[in-house]
Amino acid sequence: MLRSASLRLAALYTAAFAAAVIVLGAVTLVTTRTTLSQQFDARIQSESAALVREFRTEGLTGVVQAVQERDSTPGALDYGLQGPDGRPIAGRLAQARASPGWSEQRISQFGHEKIRTYAASLAGGYRLLVGGDDESIEAVDNLLAERFSLAILGVVVIGLVGGYGLSRGMGRRIAAITGAAEAIIDGDLSRRVPAAPRGDDLGRLAATFNRMLDRIGALMESLRQVSSDIAHDMRTPLTRLRSRLEASLQGPPGPAQAAAIEAALGDLDAILETFAALLRIAQIESGARRAAFQTFDLCAVARTVVDAFAPSAEEAGQRLTLEDGEPVVVDGDRELLTQMLVNLVENGLRHAGGQAQVTVRCRVQQGRAVLSVTDDGPGVPDAERERLFDRFHRLEASRSTAGSGLGLALVAAVAKLHGAEASLRNADPGLEAAVAFPRRS
Amino acid sequence: MKLLLVEDDRETAAYLKRALTEAGHAVDQAHDGRDGLLLAVGETYDVVVLDRMLPQLDGLAILRTLRAASVKTPVLLLTALDGIDDRVEGLEAGGDDYLVKPFAFAELLARVNALARRPPPQDVQTTLRVADLEMNLLRRTVVRAGQKIDLQPREFQLLEYLMRHAGRVVTRTMLLEAVWDFHFDPKTNIVETHISRLRGKIDRGHPGSLIHTLRGAGYSLREPD
Repeated sequence: MLRSASLRLAALYTAAFAAAVIVLGAVTLVTTRTTLSQQFDARIQSESAALVREFRTEGLTGVVQAVQERDSTPGALDYGLQGPDGRPIAGRLAQARASPGWSEQRISQFGHEKIRTYAASLAGGYRLLVGGDDESIEAVDNLLAERFSLAILGVVVIGLVGGYGLSRGMGRRIAAITGAAEAIIDGDLSRRVPAAPRGDDLGRLAATFNRMLDRIGALMESLRQVSSDIAHDMRTPLTRLRSRLEASLQGPPGPAQAAAIEAALGDLDAILETFAALLRIAQIESGARRAAFQTFDLCAVARTVVDAFAPSAEEAGQRLTLEDGEPVVVDGDRELLTQMLVNLVENGLRHAGGQAQVTVRCRVQQGRAVLSVTDDGPGVPDAERERLFDRFHRLEASRSTAGSGLGLALVAAVAKLHGAEASLRNADPGLEAAVAFPRRS
Repeated sequence: MKLLLVEDDRETAAYLKRALTEAGHAVDQAHDGRDGLLLAVGETYDVVVLDRMLPQLDGLAILRTLRAASVKTPVLLLTALDGIDDRVEGLEAGGDDYLVKPFAFAELLARVNALARRPPPQDVQTTLRVADLEMNLLRRTVVRAGQKIDLQPREFQLLEYLMRHAGRVVTRTMLLEAVWDFHFDPKTNIVETHISRLRGKIDRGHPGSLIHTLRGAGYSLREPD
C-alpha cells in the first residue's frame, strides 16, 4: 500500500492540511480569549464606574442599596463594599487590604475557582470591589479546542479515505498500463492500453503509449515483410545457385565446370548485391545519415551522372541528356543523392527500351529544387505506379530483366531522408520520376 | 612485397595468405588485434591488410595507434560493415583504402598492389610517362608518339589514374571510386564504355595498345607486350 505513490502523496497532503488546521485553531483560540477577556474587564470597569457615580450622588446608603440590589439579581457580577477598617459592609466580595486596581483571587465559598476583581477607592476610605469569574471564557476556550480537535480528526479521516480512493483509482489506471506492457513483454503485441474516458494526463499517457505500440507494430510488420520478401526473392537465385553448383560437381572436371563455377559466382554476387541494397535501405530509413548533410549544387551531381552514363546509353542506341540551368543548391547527402539519381537513370534506360530518349532535368520549381528523369518508353499502368516504391516490387513483365527490385525503394528512402517528395507520373508517352526537395530555410 | 595480414577468421586468413603468396607476396599473419599491433610496429611492411573487427583490440584502435606512433605503412581496411559512415570513419582513422566483405580476391590483390609503391605525396609530379604516352598535369595535355590527343575532362581523369597506377591492375570499383566518386556498383557497364572510348583515342592508329583488359580482374596501363 505504501508503495503507491498517489496514496503517499495523499497522506502527505493530509498531514500538511491537519497542521494548517492546528495553526488556525491556535490563532482563533488566542484571539477569542483576548477579545473575551477585554470585554469582561470592560464590563467590570463600567459597573465599578457606575457604582462610584452612585456613591457620589447618593452617598453610602445609595451604594449599599445598589450593591444589595445587584447581588440578588441572578447572573450578575459579584460585588463587595468595605469600610475604612476593611470590614465588609455589603456584598459578597471581600478582600483583606484591598489595593486599588486589578487582582485575582481564589474563593471557594462561592463555588467559583477564580474571581477577577477590580477595586476602586471611595471617599472616606471605603473600598468598592467589583468582580466576576471568567469561567465562561474558559468554557469557550474548551469548546473551541474540542471543536478544532474534531475538525482535525475529520480532516485526517477525509484525507486518508480520499487519498485511498484516489490511489485506488490511479492505481487501477496505472495497473492497466503496466498490464498492457507486461502482456507485450510476454509476446502479445496486439495488446493496447484501454482508452481513458477523460483526456487527462494519464489518458494522454495511455494514448501516447498506444501510438508508440502502433509504431513498433508497424516496424515489426515491415521487418516481417522484408524478411518474407527476402525469403521469397532470395530463394529463386539461391536455388539456381545450388543446382548450378550441384550440376558442376556431377559433371567431369574441365572448362564446363569452370564456366559453371563462374556463373555461380555471378549468381552469388547478385545475391550479395541485393543484401547490400537491403542493408543500405535499412540504414537510410533509420535516419542515421542526416549527420553527413552538406550544401552543394544538385546540378553538378546530375552532370556527373549523365556524363558517366551517356556513353553507355549511346552504345545501346539510346540517348541520355541533361537539361539544367542555374546551380540548384540543396542540403543533403551527396553520395546518397548520386546513388538515387543513378538508380532513376538506370531505371529509365532499362525500362524504356532501345531508341529511348531519357532526359534528366535539374531546376527550381516554385522555390523547390526538383530533380526529374523522364523517358519516352511504354510507361507504367496507373494502378502499378505507386507500388513501384515498395521493396522488391517489380512489374510482372520485367521479372525477367536484371535488377534486384530495390532501385526505387532506395530512391524512396533517400527522398524521405531529405524530406523530399518522390513521385512518378505518366509523361505521355513514358514515365517521369521526380524528386522535389523541401524549400531551404 | 612483404605484407601483414591481420584477420581473426582463420579460414579466411589461410585462404588469403595462400592466394597472396601465390601472387608473389611474403605474408605474415596475426589473428588478433594485440599481435597485429605488435607485428605492425615491430616489423617493416609494404602494406598492412587489417580487419576492422578483431578480438583483443579493434582494427580502428590499431590503426590510430600506428598513426600516432608515426608508422606510415599503407593500410587496407577490411570490413563487414557497409555503411558510408563506417568507410569515412576508417579513412579518417588513417586508413588508405577500404574494402567491404565479401570481396573478390582479384579486388583485394589489385588494391594491395595499388597501395604499395605509391609515390610519396610530397613528390609533386608534373609529367606522367608510359612508353610513348605523355601526360602534362599542369597544361592538362596528352601526347602519344608526338601526336596531341584531345580528351574530355573525365577521360583525362581516367587516364591520369591509369597512368599513376601504370603496370598495375586497377579494378572497375577502384575506377568508379577514383574517377566518378561512385561508392556503389551501378548495374550499367559504364567503366567498360569509358575505357573503350579512351582506348579508341589512345590506342587507335598505334601499333601496340597500352590499355589492357584483364578478364575478371580489371584494367592495366602498360607498355605494349
